[in-house]
Amino acid sequence: MREQLEQLRNGALQAIETATTVEKLQEIRITLLGRKGELTGLMKGLGSLTAEERPAIGQLVNSVRDEIEGALGAALASAQENLMAERIRSERIDISLPGRRPVRGTKHPISLVIEEVSAIFAGLGFSVAEGPEIEHDWYNFEALNFPPEHPARDMQDTFFVENSMLLRTHTSPVQIRTMLKQKPPVRIIAPGTVYRCDSDATHSPMFHQIEGLMVDTGVTFGDLKGILTVFTNQLFGQKTGVRLRPSYFPFTEPSAEVDIACVICGGKGCRVCKNSGWLEILGAGMVDPEVYRHVQYDAEQISGFAFGMGIERIAMLKYGISDMRLLFENDVRFLRQF
Amino acid sequence: MNVTYNWLKEFVDFSETPDELAALLTMLGLEVDSMVRLGEGLDDVVVARVEEKRQHPNADKLSLCKVNNGKEIVDVVCGAQNFSEGATVALAQIGAVLPGDFKIKRSKIRGEESCGMLCSDKELGLAEESAGIMVLDAELAPLGTPIFTALGLKDTLFEIGLTPNRSDCLSVIGIARDLAAKLGVQLKPFGIPLSESGEPVESSIKVTIDTPELCPRYAARYISGCTIAPSPEWLVKRLTSIGIRSINNVVDVTNLIMMELGQPLHAFDCDRLSGKQIIVRTAREGELFTTLDTQQRTLLASDLVICDAERPVALAGVMGGLNSEIEETTTAILLESAFFKPAAIRKTAKRLGLHTESSHRFERGIDIDSVTRALDRAAALIVELAGGTAARGAIDLYPGNSERTPIIFRPERANGLIGITLDRSEILDILVRLQCLISENPDGSVSVIPPHYRLDIEREIDLIEEVARLNGYDKIPETMPIARVVSDRPSRHQEIERLVRELLVQNSMTEIINFSFTAPDAAGKLLLSEDDPRRVAIKLANPLVDEHSVMRTTLLPGLLETTARNMNFRSLDLKLFEMRRVYFPAAGDGMPHEPLSVVGAISGSRDGDGWSRPQEPVDFYDAKGIVESLLEALDIGGVSWNSNQVESYYHPGKSCAVFAGRECIGSVGELHPAVQKNFGIEKAVYCFELDFEKLVKLSRTKKNITAPSRFPDSSRDIAMLVPESVAASKILECVKSEKAKEIEQVQIFDVYCGKGVPEGQRSIAIRIRYRSFERTLAEEEIVALHNRVVTNLVNKLPVTVR
Repeated sequence: MREQLEQLRNGALQAIETATTVEKLQEIRITLLGRKGELTGLMKGLGSLTAEERPAIGQLVNSVRDEIEGALGAALASAQENLMAERIRSERIDISLPGRRPVRGTKHPISLVIEEVSAIFAGLGFSVAEGPEIEHDWYNFEALNFPPEHPARDMQDTFFVENSMLLRTHTSPVQIRTMLKQKPPVRIIAPGTVYRCDSDATHSPMFHQIEGLMVDTGVTFGDLKGILTVFTNQLFGQKTGVRLRPSYFPFTEPSAEVDIACVICGGKGCRVCKNSGWLEILGAGMVDPEVYRHVQYDAEQISGFAFGMGIERIAMLKYGISDMRLLFENDVRFLRQF
Repeated sequence: MNVTYNWLKEFVDFSETPDELAALLTMLGLEVDSMVRLGEGLDDVVVARVEEKRQHPNADKLSLCKVNNGKEIVDVVCGAQNFSEGATVALAQIGAVLPGDFKIKRSKIRGEESCGMLCSDKELGLAEESAGIMVLDAELAPLGTPIFTALGLKDTLFEIGLTPNRSDCLSVIGIARDLAAKLGVQLKPFGIPLSESGEPVESSIKVTIDTPELCPRYAARYISGCTIAPSPEWLVKRLTSIGIRSINNVVDVTNLIMMELGQPLHAFDCDRLSGKQIIVRTAREGELFTTLDTQQRTLLASDLVICDAERPVALAGVMGGLNSEIEETTTAILLESAFFKPAAIRKTAKRLGLHTESSHRFERGIDIDSVTRALDRAAALIVELAGGTAARGAIDLYPGNSERTPIIFRPERANGLIGITLDRSEILDILVRLQCLISENPDGSVSVIPPHYRLDIEREIDLIEEVARLNGYDKIPETMPIARVVSDRPSRHQEIERLVRELLVQNSMTEIINFSFTAPDAAGKLLLSEDDPRRVAIKLANPLVDEHSVMRTTLLPGLLETTARNMNFRSLDLKLFEMRRVYFPAAGDGMPHEPLSVVGAISGSRDGDGWSRPQEPVDFYDAKGIVESLLEALDIGGVSWNSNQVESYYHPGKSCAVFAGRECIGSVGELHPAVQKNFGIEKAVYCFELDFEKLVKLSRTKKNITAPSRFPDSSRDIAMLVPESVAASKILECVKSEKAKEIEQVQIFDVYCGKGVPEGQRSIAIRIRYRSFERTLAEEEIVALHNRVVTNLVNKLPVTVR
């Protein structure tokens, strides 16, 4: 028995030493230590030994098994290591081939600008309001202090539909609808689609605006300037602030056109800003008392400002688009770039 | 409004350069749209003298000239005949660039060298037409002087874009006034004295106003013995510089004064006025009248007309009549200066499409107090330029009331609203500089009477604006408002709109935006039935083009046109969506309905690359999958797909309606081949359409989330033969009807028909994953449950398990 064990051990250790592959080593394990293996077979013979022989031989069996298992484990580990090293050495792919991926979907640039502007104003406590696109004359003009037959109406070429209704020419009627619904404080922006019957390289009969309105106690023209500075600096990522120029809108007074330093040339003068260094991007002003009268606010108690901007204009400046028509041609070669 | 630098200088003193002046005007709210430097780039066109002129040897109509430019004698070939040797002319030398980007180069004309060109007025942009070259006064300037300098035309033209409230600035004096107020200086005195030497005016002409409400002031003068002639050069130049064509001395004076003082004037040939009389009245309904532009106009009873004893002679404030215009033979003039009601003039001008310099000013309101000043200045100039005698006195009917009520103004309110801290005296000084009359009240407020020409100043807020404007918007400090906190979050509608857009983009779709208006036949192209509500669209009363004349009731036509257009550009793999409003007429008196709609279209191959996987075309299930994932994300329950109710624009065998419970929320399907053809699309397109408002209504805000089981799973497959008449969904429903909570998932993993499968049948294979939430399932339990599932399938459906 003892002899057999010694022989088995020596044979096993030699076989392990000469085996080089994982498979071979697994095979050796099964031949020696498996259920029907040689060592297992010998162990079964322990029963036939005398009680005196049994402890010593049992000990030897265990030590032989431990020895073989140890050698097998070490050989296996090294064989696996070699195998991995070989894999790492031999496996190569062409990483320059394009990755497998679904086509990237894109939002329309108009939606992107609306989302961005809304997010900036949400941070300033402005919520989003909406209103109908097919509007009554009263909301679109009269309540905004455009009397009938007033030359100011020439500023906005209007599409009319039946029943004295029209396609809103600006998002400003949302101001009226909001103020009629709620009392101050009011702090809203109103993005939306607007229409004017005008069509050429720089005018589209349908375009988009974002209206803003803040009414509270003690709001000043300086506050308007402050809010617009914060807004334009965040939107265009520059620190140049705004320039306000006197202008006229029937529903604000004082009124202003708002310029930012040209985002293309940084104010040095270029083709986009017509060498002025400034870009007009907004109309704004303090809400006219006549508007408050129409919505039954007391102009002596509260004050506020309103502003409006063209989304196409901002999109064109942000993305360097020179022709507004691209925004509505819906060519996927254009849209997929956003 | 056009004004030049030199002209403004006649009214107000300033030291600003043209660039500085433009910036100043812009910051006053008088926005300089463009600046044109007159004569810029024309320094190479100089005064020169023709020393010798002889016939070109090879051309009858050309002459060879030796021209002295002050430095040398150059050879010039010229085609004009209207000059002789010794004439002083305008020579464009080599290198000059004339208007129209016309470069002067050394050239050979019919074999003869030409080193320049003798210019006409037209070639220098000084006239629209000219006969022959410009022949100048020999004393004009030394030879070699640039021609624009010599003519005194070196000037800068400002084109000012006026806002409709600033009618007071539709004149040189108006702009000069604002400038003077800003600079804190006085306007220069101007005007030439009128010598009246004729009979009293009343003995020559008579004026009656029948409609004082439309004509609150009418003034007139009578000048006899005039000679109509071309205007002198200074007048022609001045009008030309701001883009007005010279006509004759009298008409030019009326135009000049209009531009200078903002008062439109009209000169009638008095001898052609029946009864030498003016009556201001409204027209008779249907009355015919021929305006100066030789157009016959049919008038309405609301049109204000100027008449003589018998007939209309002018359309008040808009245009004169052909029957009384100044002609070469005219000697007696009735000069009109009046104030007409803006709304009346606007109505007439708009209706007749007659927008003139005169109507533009009357529509916006002119200075009623300056009516006679303009009349007198014009009469004086006419006498000076056309001779004749002005009758003594002027007729001035002024039945209207021009008194202005004082405005109560609180200086501290101006500071408060603007956000500045000016002293009271600084604020009042601004108003005084604007020519307001002010008087202080005991309560600290100020009563302010603005000047007549400032029709836009009526209320305290208008004065506050003036303070902000004159003080300078740039001096207002930037502040952040102190605001009350209000609780607000985006509405559910807004949140779901954003979510849907986000989800569609995640599904590889590109968002498009089409116009809200469409062609009237759009519904027909979709084969909609005659009584389909989408055929009733809101029409535009004044569309720009027929293709954009009705408000769309469905987004599909725009989507399909976009699809076709992209395919034409060979963008064939398309996944497009649009989420916009559609428009339906109001049911009663209410507002039109503008619900949001969502549509999508896909076509081409599924994913782009193709080097590792074959490019497979998209099909119905891609479109359905997008809708499924959308509905799942919105947690809309009870979704079913109904192929019995399909829209007309889908392939009837490859489309369905989408239901959530009993509510139809949309549709999905392959585009009907006929519709595809109607839109000029050559490849199969799969579309879906969803009613956004219903998505909002049905979307559940609270999701039921369960913790996953921690026990092992076991999967079993079943392959079966299924008659084609049995929908695959029935198999899934049947398995699920087992209601065993150990069935974690049922999935169809293979659908096959063809070789090995009998005709009329499909082979469908499903995989069921069993798993318990409580324990590891024993093999025996799984077998028993699976056998139950199989038995159930075989018993309830006509399927054969393979």
